[in-house]
Amino acid sequence: MSERKKSSLIQRLFGNRNEAVDILAEEQIQSPSKMMLDNFLHNRLGMTGLIGFFVILLIVSIIPIFMPINLGESDNTQTNTPPGLSMMAFPKELEGNVADISNGPTFGAGVDKDGNVYTWGHTKITKVIDVANIPSEVKRAHIVMLSCGYDHITAVDDENNVYVWGNTRLGQDNVPSELVPSRTRGTKEIIQLETGYQISGAVTADGEAYLWGNENMSDLSVHKEYQGHIKKIAITNSYYCLLLDNGSVVYGGFKNNAFSNVPASLKSHVVDIAASSDTMCGLKDDGTLIFWGNGTHGENLAPELSSKPVEIYGGRWHYSALLENGDVVSWGNNSHGETKVPDSVNNAEIETIFSGYFQNYAVTKQGKILTWGLKGYVLGTDNLGRDILTRLVHGGKTTMTVGFIAQAIALIIGIITGGLAGYFGGSVDLIIMRVAEVIGSLPFLPFALLLSAIIGSTIDVQLRMYLIMVVLGLLSWTGICRLVRAQILAEREKEFVLAAQAMDVKEGSIIFKHILPNVLSILLVEATLGFATCMLTESSLSYLGFGISPPTPTWGNMLNGANNSIVIQQYWWQWVFVSFIFGICTICINLVGDAIRDAVDPKSLGR
Amino acid sequence: MTKYVLKRLGYMVVVFFTVSFLMYCLYNLIPQDPARLELEGIKTSLKPAEYEARYQALREEMGLDDPIVVRYARWMGLAKDRKGNLNGILEGYFGYSRYFKKDIVTVVKDPAVNTIFINIFATILALGITIPLGIYCAVHKGGKFDNFTQVLTIVGYSIPTYIIALLFIYVFAVILRWFPVSGIGTPGANYTGMKYYIDKLYYLCLPLMVMTFGSLGGMTRYVRAAMIDALSMDHIKTARAKGVHEKTVIYSHAWRNALLPIIGIVIGWFLGIFSGSLIIENTFGLNGMGSLYIKALNNHDYDLALAMQMFYTVVSLVGALITDLSYGFVDPRVRIDK
Repeated sequence: MSERKKSSLIQRLFGNRNEAVDILAEEQIQSPSKMMLDNFLHNRLGMTGLIGFFVILLIVSIIPIFMPINLGESDNTQTNTPPGLSMMAFPKELEGNVADISNGPTFGAGVDKDGNVYTWGHTKITKVIDVANIPSEVKRAHIVMLSCGYDHITAVDDENNVYVWGNTRLGQDNVPSELVPSRTRGTKEIIQLETGYQISGAVTADGEAYLWGNENMSDLSVHKEYQGHIKKIAITNSYYCLLLDNGSVVYGGFKNNAFSNVPASLKSHVVDIAASSDTMCGLKDDGTLIFWGNGTHGENLAPELSSKPVEIYGGRWHYSALLENGDVVSWGNNSHGETKVPDSVNNAEIETIFSGYFQNYAVTKQGKILTWGLKGYVLGTDNLGRDILTRLVHGGKTTMTVGFIAQAIALIIGIITGGLAGYFGGSVDLIIMRVAEVIGSLPFLPFALLLSAIIGSTIDVQLRMYLIMVVLGLLSWTGICRLVRAQILAEREKEFVLAAQAMDVKEGSIIFKHILPNVLSILLVEATLGFATCMLTESSLSYLGFGISPPTPTWGNMLNGANNSIVIQQYWWQWVFVSFIFGICTICINLVGDAIRDAVDPKSLGR
Repeated sequence: MTKYVLKRLGYMVVVFFTVSFLMYCLYNLIPQDPARLELEGIKTSLKPAEYEARYQALREEMGLDDPIVVRYARWMGLAKDRKGNLNGILEGYFGYSRYFKKDIVTVVKDPAVNTIFINIFATILALGITIPLGIYCAVHKGGKFDNFTQVLTIVGYSIPTYIIALLFIYVFAVILRWFPVSGIGTPGANYTGMKYYIDKLYYLCLPLMVMTFGSLGGMTRYVRAAMIDALSMDHIKTARAKGVHEKTVIYSHAWRNALLPIIGIVIGWFLGIFSGSLIIENTFGLNGMGSLYIKALNNHDYDLALAMQMFYTVVSLVGALITDLSYGFVDPRVRIDK
């Protein structure tokens, strides 16, 4: 006994009772319920299952509070991104020596003052295209600036040669002949390089702008009258605007769109322009910011600024600005923390900022690089560019809620019907048992599919979820009903019931207050295992597309898109994590159920 | 015994009609109008008045305005339809599939053969593995192998089939490239005779493996539990005391007693995999009843879905009947009691 006192908590939770206690002594000091609890606590597998289940339960119930989900979210630039947090992990060589940094949707590229190009992040765009495969002529050249598009990188070297690599199938590398150095026409000196989705644009020292790339959906030609006066170019996904040397902003192309009507206030005194994916922004010399385009994430609403902005930079759905007092401000979409400027940035003296997609890099006067924004996705993204971790925890919450409520419904119906049938017997018993038998003989999955189809997909997602719970509950009460009935049939004949009847206790009170507590332990087993079954059924329904409908995530419908070889092979993270946590969860519940069954069943003690 | 069988049969018929009536009512809850669907194609070419007249005539012809009991009786083949014929399920006419534009019997024939084939095959495979395994574990209860199997079986029956399917596809089709990912025959290859069946079997390997593996967990546990119960009976002690050979004790004395619960479980489980094969068929793109059922529901072909639902119901009812009869056959007490 003295040894046992010394044993640690873990040992007490998981260890077996080594010392043999005399059966009579043990039963004398322990009530049956205490013995069951003791048995359960000493079942290693059961305790492991219980702890595992509680960990998962905590994860899916607490993390969603800190990780809100935006059900409408989807981003075609972030689709099928593998797990990793390397999107802002620039190499050490750039520190203190940076010439230019640019960010694509899932990768980054930078060039140092010695002309070496570096890439980082998820650079593999398709199975064959990888922007990390820097062409050898680029490696040989002394690159001075570069810019990342959706799936390509454009770079310029000190001799004004333009290089493009990555995906070049849609004309991303159709560099206009004017920009190709030639002996007869001379070389145009490039002073600015910008990229959009699959297009690139360059401004030369003599005020000309040239654009090239994927011409679908974009407007690449430049009005002749502006050539020679262009100071700066800003490119959204597919369109561009120009800052001219007279301080006005113009839309340089020929098509009519949301950008072609430049606000009248930008006709003069403009010092800087920038573009996000869907908006453009002009900065006037008095510090006002003027936006136009289709702002969707609040990037077109200027924030309260502590002082005049000097320079502005655009990301995908956010802008960053460097203010006169040295502060840095970001505004717009903050789903990946891209507008949450860290204190270290505001404490440092910032030389310049590079913003792109969801990332920001601020370079201090000392050459240090500070970053904020999207580092990457811990568990990757799905085929709509949604973060799998967020969907996993929220999906778990949904799946568990549905399973729990469905099982609660089944339990309530089962206890009431079983109690009535068992206690009253006769015709009540006959009717209830026939109904239970009819429902029990229905093939479960096909019938659940049918009911789900009847509910239809036209109704509100939330209401549909509740109806699915009810359907599952209504279909799975028969087992509990039969169990309760059988137990009550056995208990009914005992003396204490007779005593209660003799004392004129109400019948309902006899069933539910006197008899039912005796069958609670067995009910507990049934309820635990039923909970796992309900979760499985819900996820099977959702997997087949008949359960909870997207965008609400559940562990079942997250796997809905996974049954094709491309996803299974190339995008393994889209099904492995969900399968893993779901598998662990159901295994844990079943372990707990088994352990309770063993604890309740006196036969398992081997007496 | 005859009385018992007749009683069970009579009971089954009552349940069948109750369930089928319930199903019929449920399907009628779905907002749909077959007469309007029938006229949808020529709607634009008709004047409104003419359309209305044809629509009403069609409704009359289809008997849509009759009470639901009458319509049910007609669909069942218990009452004469408008043309005065008995033409319903009991006469072998299951209706017309609007999606496939064929009689339902023709549509269902091929998938049904596939489904029944894979289910029976998987059952035989699973039984062949689980019965010896379960017996071995029961005999060596508490041993290392038994404990290991116990943990493995919990894992086996906890994980949903489609996750097992995904894992198997990943391992055997994607990494090892032993089996094709999905389908039920090499596309474009018109094999005949033996080669056709070998090709088919090759494509069915992976689904069969998944189905077998998915059922190993639960089945092994049942066999083990039944066998442990049987081995703890008093007559086993007697037999051992009398010096009967251990093999005879296990396979003759104990196994026969364990058979009773196992039969019930096996049949219940066999019916379960008919619904379970819904998921397998859908995942592996097999042309079976399950995928057909989902196709019917997705395309709002409710006549087809209803007919197939009846199939599932009949399968489960027949299964329950066989279970009861086999109980009565194996255990004389059952048939005397009832």
